[in-house]
Amino acid sequence: MGHAGAAWVAGSGVHLFHRGALSEAPANGVFAASAADDQNFHGNISYSYNKLGYLGFPLRPMRQHSYDVVVVGAGHAGCEAARACARMGLKTAIVTMNIDLVAQMSCNPAIGGIAKGHLVREIDALGGVMGEVADDVGIQFRLLNTSRGPAVWSPRAQMDKKQYRVRMRQVLEAEPNLRFVQAEAAELVLASAVNGHRRITGVLLRDGRTLGCGAAVVTTGTFLNGMAHIGESKYNCGRSGEAPANLLGTFLRSLGLQWTRLKTGTPPRLDGRTIRWECFEPQLGDADPVPFSFMTGRIERPQVACHIAYTNEDTRRVIHESLARSPLYSGQIEGIGPRYCPSIEDKIVKFPDKPRHQLFLEPEGLDTYEVYVNGMSTSMPVDVQEGMLSTIPGLAEAEMIRPGYAIEYDAIDPRELSHALEVKSIDGLFLAGQINGTSGYEEAGCQGLLAGINAAHRIAGKDPLLLKRTDGYAGILVDDLVTKGADEPYRMFTSRAEYRLHLRIDNADERLTKVGHVAGLVSGERWERFQAKQQEKEALRRMLESTRADSKRHPELGLSTDDRPLLSEWLRRPGARIGALSGVMIEALGHMPQLGALQTVETEFKYAGYLDQQDRMVRRMKDSEERRIPRGFVYDGVPGLSREVRDKLKRVGPATLGQAARIPGVTPAAISVLDVYLTIREGADSDV
Amino acid sequence: MTAGDTIVAISTPPGVGGIGVVRLSGPAAREVASAFLRFDHGHQWQARIAELASLIDEGGALVDQVVVTWFAAPRSYTAEDVVEISCHGSPVVLRHSIDRALAAGARLAEPGEFTLRAFVNGRISLPEAEAVHDLITATTLHQAKIAAQQLGGSVSRAIAPLKAQLLELVALLEAGIDFAEDDIDVASASDILARIRPIRLGIDRLAASYAYGKLVHDGLTLAIVGRPNVGKSSLFNCLLEQDRAIVTEIPGTTRDTVSERASIGGIPVKLVDTAGVREATDKVEKLGVERSYQAMADSGLTLVVVDASQPLTAEDVSLLEKAGSQGPSIAVANKCDLGITAEVRGGGFTPVSAISGDGIDALRRAILQAISPQGTISPESGLITSLRHERLLRECLEALDHAALAVESGLPHELLLLDCYAALRPIDALTGATTADDILNRIFSTFCIGK
Repeated sequence: MGHAGAAWVAGSGVHLFHRGALSEAPANGVFAASAADDQNFHGNISYSYNKLGYLGFPLRPMRQHSYDVVVVGAGHAGCEAARACARMGLKTAIVTMNIDLVAQMSCNPAIGGIAKGHLVREIDALGGVMGEVADDVGIQFRLLNTSRGPAVWSPRAQMDKKQYRVRMRQVLEAEPNLRFVQAEAAELVLASAVNGHRRITGVLLRDGRTLGCGAAVVTTGTFLNGMAHIGESKYNCGRSGEAPANLLGTFLRSLGLQWTRLKTGTPPRLDGRTIRWECFEPQLGDADPVPFSFMTGRIERPQVACHIAYTNEDTRRVIHESLARSPLYSGQIEGIGPRYCPSIEDKIVKFPDKPRHQLFLEPEGLDTYEVYVNGMSTSMPVDVQEGMLSTIPGLAEAEMIRPGYAIEYDAIDPRELSHALEVKSIDGLFLAGQINGTSGYEEAGCQGLLAGINAAHRIAGKDPLLLKRTDGYAGILVDDLVTKGADEPYRMFTSRAEYRLHLRIDNADERLTKVGHVAGLVSGERWERFQAKQQEKEALRRMLESTRADSKRHPELGLSTDDRPLLSEWLRRPGARIGALSGVMIEALGHMPQLGALQTVETEFKYAGYLDQQDRMVRRMKDSEERRIPRGFVYDGVPGLSREVRDKLKRVGPATLGQAARIPGVTPAAISVLDVYLTIREGADSDV
Repeated sequence: MTAGDTIVAISTPPGVGGIGVVRLSGPAAREVASAFLRFDHGHQWQARIAELASLIDEGGALVDQVVVTWFAAPRSYTAEDVVEISCHGSPVVLRHSIDRALAAGARLAEPGEFTLRAFVNGRISLPEAEAVHDLITATTLHQAKIAAQQLGGSVSRAIAPLKAQLLELVALLEAGIDFAEDDIDVASASDILARIRPIRLGIDRLAASYAYGKLVHDGLTLAIVGRPNVGKSSLFNCLLEQDRAIVTEIPGTTRDTVSERASIGGIPVKLVDTAGVREATDKVEKLGVERSYQAMADSGLTLVVVDASQPLTAEDVSLLEKAGSQGPSIAVANKCDLGITAEVRGGGFTPVSAISGDGIDALRRAILQAISPQGTISPESGLITSLRHERLLRECLEALDHAALAVESGLPHELLLLDCYAALRPIDALTGATTADDILNRIFSTFCIGK
């Protein structure tokens, strides 16, 4: 843990009072970091804060700050959580250390990507904001994986990083129930609950105020006991240039929950004016941009280009010669980084035979020259970073605006959480985003939205919203986290989805708009448009299933005279596209159905056989998903389970046999035993 | 099943045998056994040591001299305390032991309950549990060997590398989808097909071993047909005689059917009596031939016997043709000690003499050759004997064929992957990775261990 130098650590780690030099106390009795300078906070500074009034400096009586929900953190998880709670009618506060950095894109200036784009569509369908904001400020849109089938098409877009912050803040400020509070959250106020749990009653701020609440959503990102590494130097921070959340980090570590240390990294940013762009192959956006949000019409904004670069043998040599100075290889970094997003030094060490590694030069915005070097995440010393960049033709003269760095931070073992993303032992405490061991804005946003909805449900005394793995990637994300934990930062992949062919971007609305509507997050306009689209799809389906193709009436289909398939059958033929039926559709329906309806209906007819095949395969999973394990089931009473398996089951406390089977290390034999015992138990119960 | 109770059963086959074993399993196994045992040499209950003891009745009178072995939990078949009592095999004595055990608080085991407990207690995996069934019902040494190999996981071992290859392919395809943005090569159709081929070949070979495995498991029905007086009964006795010793050596052999069972190369063979043909007179010759046709149709292999010393008759030729068209058959020329006609010598017959025993070994080899696929499959290469295993492998093969078709028709990889997962799932089931209620129910309801 990165507490070195913090005065309050002296003595017991739980004592958060500053007991040091009184002379440091400012007149108002409230401590703050000694200077606003970005880089000063990692020096030898007191992180003391005023908890109950400072040693003889009583506070003035303060206003009551009482909210239904307090959201700690205003990153991608926090914004969705706060917006959802406010939308659901709850008095909500969002606490952030810097209100100017709401929804900051700490890493790449892009939203979406394969599987992540699916998550954004699902956030959007549930009534979240990420998709709409991304559509508003995106500067290059691409639909990925179009060489494959529609199930794995996924949108991705470059963002104007600054505009994303601005737009998100506007969206949040438009919510009448939502209040911004710029402060550092220091502790949670807990009380004991009737069920033997603890329950949250408020959030104590470093400035001495307490925000009362019935539920809190904590979204600390990389800030929780954050520590950055660049080469040999390391310092406490939440992000480069921002203070860490060490008070809250220490407090959370005292709660008896299981924590882990994760690591992530980011590449250097360059000054675009110093790049010789002609050396690189441009990568353009799609001619017809595909938006994220159901509510977005056409995206008219002009698109910018990204550029593709490659490392070379010289780059490899520079990195290789300096490996000893890498905190990753010197042992300085203990946190576990994501294998799917390795640093450039990792790539070179682990794939020594690969002659070059691909890099993408991505603009960070329209009114800045800052360029993000995607693919070159690194924690090498700054001189080595400069050295490796200079080996790449076209970047030889490139000037670095900010160096890349790695950051370690605290994350909970997400098996401490229920499927509602609520800490199992603390009622009303919800966690979302990187604190749960995930990586990525989309993963964070999705959890924030679900945690926000469930915090609101907790306040209202409603059952939590629990999405199943067959409902969407959102359900898979939560189930994976609370079942398997996160040994490395968790990212979504389409291969995690058993029901992949069904979980498409084109039907995210169909799968989840109703859920968002019931939760109260879907606007009236969206709900109307959604219903209209559903009706349109239905009419189109019926027409295609009842109309026969005719060589005379539909010469454009190129059929022979005795070939008269139903249009729905014709669509299954290789190469048949629904676009060819525009004449038929306009004639039969009176208009051309909207694109979304066309895509979904075409996919469902075209891939009907495969969708059926998948249904059959998934049915087994659904069955075991319906086999419930009673709450509080005593695994100690089941002989035949090894201690290891028993411990794993106890830790997760699976709700169903299906979930139990997904716990790593729980053997099929153990599941059979559980199954037998549940059967016996059910038999015994029904005998009574 | 209730944890904590003690079960008892006779664990040797029904009938009068040399030795009968009564087995107790559960925490009270020793306590229960103590109620009707008296140790002759004072020391008692040493784990894994066979002890001489007296089986006594309620009045303390000696019923039988027995050998008692205690297996302390968890080092026993069920991982519970187990007591095995080897009595002299009289059904009355065995019954007495069971009655006394029940009176002392034990419960009669359900069919397969010892194995269920072994499985529930994590002693054995699902395929092992199924293999135990085969071991118990093995009627020849060869069968016992294959069952023992399955118990040790020979099927799992044979599949493991194929599964690894399939997983590799799946990973390759998944990577292409999830990391399309990255700089990785998309697998080409020919590459994918080249990867599917060896997996398919391996699974197919394993599935094909079922035909032979089934023979090992179920035995071979061998029909001996031929005209009257060609020496069928001598040949029958000859094949039978030579294996009588082996058959009787096998534990668990069903003695009352020994007269019609032999073992050839370790495979239990049921010799089909074609007495109807043997006793046929000219008047009912037609009927006799029909009966031998029927026997041929029901058998796995037919031996068509002719007289080596006599010219072939029209009836011989018709039988040979018929047998050849109905399935595997071997043409046997008996009585070669009396001379071999030129016609027989050049006709592809296996010459034997049931009287002198000449050529019988060659005939046995010919029989094995005829029933072994390619004649090369050894039990060590992974032999499957269970219909469930064969079904699963066939399911896997079908999915692999679909996958190959999907590749050839240029389907996107997320659809191709459906077939790959469909191929993987049955393998999972085979290696014990998948369990379902119906499988468990089926295994444990057909299980007769300890009975």
